[in-house]
Amino acid sequence: MNFWEIGKRNLKEIYRNPILLGFLLGMPVAFMLVFCAAAGGGQASPISLSVVDEDHSQTSSAFIQNLGSIEAIELNETIYSEKSQAQEDLEDGRISFYLFIPSGFEEAKQAQQTVNLDLAYKAADPMIGLQVKPIIEAVGSEFLGVAPPLTVELKGTESKIKNEVVNFYAPGIAVFGLMILISTAAEIIAGDREKGFLARMFTTPARPSDFILGYSLPFIPVLIVSTLIYLGVGMALGLTVVGNLGHVFLIFFLMGLCSIGIGMIVGSLIKSESQAGVSWIFIVPMAMISGAWFTVENMPSAVKSVAGALPFIHAIDASRAVLNGSSFSAITLDIYWLVGWAVVLFAAGIVLFRRTMVS
Amino acid sequence: MNAVQTLKLTKKFDSLVAVNGVDLEIKKGELFSLLGPNGAGKTTTIRMLCCLLKPTKGTASVLGYDIAKEPFEVKKLIGVSPQDTILSERLNCWENLALIGKVHGLSSNEVKERSKELLETMGLMERAKDQVRKFSGGMKRRLSIAMALVSDPQVLFLDEPTLGLDPQARRTIWEYIAELKGKKTILLTTHYMEEADFLSERIGIIDEGRVVALGTSQELKTNLLEMRSMVVSTENLTAEVMENLQSKYSRLEKDKGRLKIYHKDLDFKEIVDYLHSRGVTVYSAALEQPTLEDVFIQITGKKLRD
Repeated sequence: MNFWEIGKRNLKEIYRNPILLGFLLGMPVAFMLVFCAAAGGGQASPISLSVVDEDHSQTSSAFIQNLGSIEAIELNETIYSEKSQAQEDLEDGRISFYLFIPSGFEEAKQAQQTVNLDLAYKAADPMIGLQVKPIIEAVGSEFLGVAPPLTVELKGTESKIKNEVVNFYAPGIAVFGLMILISTAAEIIAGDREKGFLARMFTTPARPSDFILGYSLPFIPVLIVSTLIYLGVGMALGLTVVGNLGHVFLIFFLMGLCSIGIGMIVGSLIKSESQAGVSWIFIVPMAMISGAWFTVENMPSAVKSVAGALPFIHAIDASRAVLNGSSFSAITLDIYWLVGWAVVLFAAGIVLFRRTMVS
Repeated sequence: MNAVQTLKLTKKFDSLVAVNGVDLEIKKGELFSLLGPNGAGKTTTIRMLCCLLKPTKGTASVLGYDIAKEPFEVKKLIGVSPQDTILSERLNCWENLALIGKVHGLSSNEVKERSKELLETMGLMERAKDQVRKFSGGMKRRLSIAMALVSDPQVLFLDEPTLGLDPQARRTIWEYIAELKGKKTILLTTHYMEEADFLSERIGIIDEGRVVALGTSQELKTNLLEMRSMVVSTENLTAEVMENLQSKYSRLEKDKGRLKIYHKDLDFKEIVDYLHSRGVTVYSAALEQPTLEDVFIQITGKKLRD
């Protein structure tokens, strides 16, 4: 139980240091406020349009192609064939709105009859419907060769997600915020090495694992509290949790453990507190390819593989998915990645730390 | 079995040989001092015995356990007070002592009892509940030594225990260490002559990584110091007299009217008679007891505090 004694000491050293504690707990609040407030309510352009094609005809395909050629609209690659599926995605916030082409579209065109198109959108964002309606009316009239009254009916739908932008950024901010534990953990170990405290402890029977666990322990409460802050402040700013909140918490917790593990490794390798700055050489690029701010889809394949091997993208993808309603089975693989990384990092930390105990 | 035994113990840092083939045998219950100037290899020796440094060559054992092969067995038996006072700054005295005690496997009750005793002995009880970062240097040093003792170790390593302390604080620590004599095996390093002289049963003089002399304080002074010295208080010493003396005796030191003469088999009467015959006024003359400092100068050719 030596790790517990070392852990208690480290816990007291942190909690009796108001500046450090303020940094550790104030940072999540500040992060969340700044980013979510800045991102709140924005909508990316151009407008992304999803289409449900129940007609499955050459004519309907041609019409969709026509829509896609319009600059203001970015056509979603997936063309739904079932309305119910599109409706579900709309409710869960995966899409903002969709255009419904009913069966009989081709016949109606050939017969020069009036066609009825439904435009379903999020009730929380009526501007989209109003913006898109005239575009579709114009394209439709031209395509069908009928004068406008082409009727496009607007159908507002209640989406479960109040603000997708917040739902997109919050997991990224939380994961990036938890990555800062890397430098803090490394700094505390390196500081104790520099002051000679570790050398003094190395003359006691404590083992390498006692040190790694003992130095990780005080960060567990920090991790729990900061995760609660990320979720709490996020929810106050419009974060919608559709899935299981406990699962989101679990993901962030595992992510935090990975960060602490990396911090232990960095702390084992560096000699002085001032060298803890090197953590940022890793933190910043890792955050860049974590999908926290922008998707990695368009990055070179090598970068994509690196990103996919690291734990961060799994934490962000999984937490986004759960926030937007995914079940646990959909994120099991991500959880395995996170657990695997945490185990590997702590084992590596112990091995590396052992080497520093005698020189 | 010796409490501490080293055999050709050597530590090299790149091209620097910090400890060079040191052979030591410290018996159980003995208080042994390693005396030497800064950089002589005292701390490096202690750090190897505490399993913090791997010897480049040679071996060492503590109570029969090899420091390189069984470091955790060694660590269970030793208490260490490092040269720099190292404490957990935001912990109070009780918490600092409990940390070391518990890691050595003491129960909460044992820790409490030992801590109480040590805090009283070291005069820290009044401030025991304060965070130690507010303490003076002397208080920190006393707590640091208490931390080395809290686990009731069989072998105690005290690296410069009184370095940088005022004379009064030094005295307190000496008295406490003296009380431990015979109860614990203590290896102490120091570059204070009077500390080694006052405390230890045996002294090893270490210089440039080698043990250059070994024995009790008295043995070192009598056996090794062939040179005798005498101090003469005079007036009107002429240059001619000085020249004559210089040619005849090994070493002269002159400080105003005070003349110190070093020589093997020094003849007190001969010198005084010679000075009188040359009309030099002699106020007083006395043979001097050799000091450890003299021993050190004799062996290494340099002063200890350089």
